Amino acid sequence: MASGLIGRLVGTKPSRLTTAARLIPARWTSTGAEAETKASSGGGRESKLKNFQIYRWNPDNPGKPELQNYQIDLKDCGPMVLDALIKIKNEMDPSLTFRRSCREGICGSCAMNIDGCNGLACLTKIQDGASETTITPLPHMFVIKDLVVDMTNFYNQYKSIEPWLKRKTPPSVPGKEILQSKKDRAKLDGMYECILCACCSTSCPSYWWNPESYLGPAALLHANRWISDSRDEYTKERLEAIDDEFKLYRCHTILNCARACPKGLNPGKQITHIKQLQR
Amino acid sequence: MGASKLSGMQKQVLSLYRGFLRAARSKPTEDRKRIEMIVSTEFRHNSKEVDRKNFQYIEYLLRLGTKQLDQLKSPDIVSLSSVKVVASKT
Repeated sequence: MASGLIGRLVGTKPSRLTTAARLIPARWTSTGAEAETKASSGGGRESKLKNFQIYRWNPDNPGKPELQNYQIDLKDCGPMVLDALIKIKNEMDPSLTFRRSCREGICGSCAMNIDGCNGLACLTKIQDGASETTITPLPHMFVIKDLVVDMTNFYNQYKSIEPWLKRKTPPSVPGKEILQSKKDRAKLDGMYECILCACCSTSCPSYWWNPESYLGPAALLHANRWISDSRDEYTKERLEAIDDEFKLYRCHTILNCARACPKGLNPGKQITHIKQLQR
Repeated sequence: MGASKLSGMQKQVLSLYRGFLRAARSKPTEDRKRIEMIVSTEFRHNSKEVDRKNFQYIEYLLRLGTKQLDQLKSPDIVSLSSVKVVASKT
């Protein structure tokens, strides 16, 4: 599974900084822009402009939602879409609204639709080239403002599968952990990493057409995580709870979920596992 | 031939209004009047200002109202209050 950690060469960075720092004071008398262009290594500093079309809708001034265009110099901006959004919010339009938190792909706040594919803004690199990037909120979700969507239905579905350990018998050693073999723990790999970003559920056409009745790939992935947990004793009841025409069987193995997951998980595979257990 | 048929959305708005008034009934008398006043001014203001065809905004207000109603229904909540904010040009 992709771990999302990027190694950095720490050695090269400090030396570049010191040479630049030495050059700029010498050219302090000239205009700032000139100094910048001459201080950078290599030839002249051309700006690499890129257009971003971002979905805007304001509930305070409600009209029709629109795609607003922003132009950014990629040389002056970090590599990820989230860097571009923050730059736009800081320098060009402070009213742009979006969710963000960890900036490293672990919290799942910045999930949005970038160029037609669902993903995390902090993990999606800005595509090089002159083409426009279109950023819209997660598809088929109610919009609260700009790129912020209403996730309450998604969270309620997660809550409905009772994502906690349920036992009938007390643990074998009272007050201590319930032991689990390495093999049983390995069964949970591919499910515990889910960050509930909603990229998979909002990419599933079946979820678009039945958002209230179908649980969606994320909730079903977590349902399988608790069903497969060897420490949980309510497996039969959990399976019966989702053994429903709509809750589980709206899945037609479209597998958009596996494509969309920014953490590299496969909810479709877990749903197939649940279906096999249902007998 | 009688009153015109109400659309589904209009029925939702009315049932939300009814829900608020019913929730207000369960609160103490003074707060009840305040809740009814706030809710009725809000609904009347929106019914005049909001365009009938602006479905996205009406649905947004309905969802917002439903969430506020769920909060109000809880027995811990005692009353509603309202503050007027002058909207700045964004």
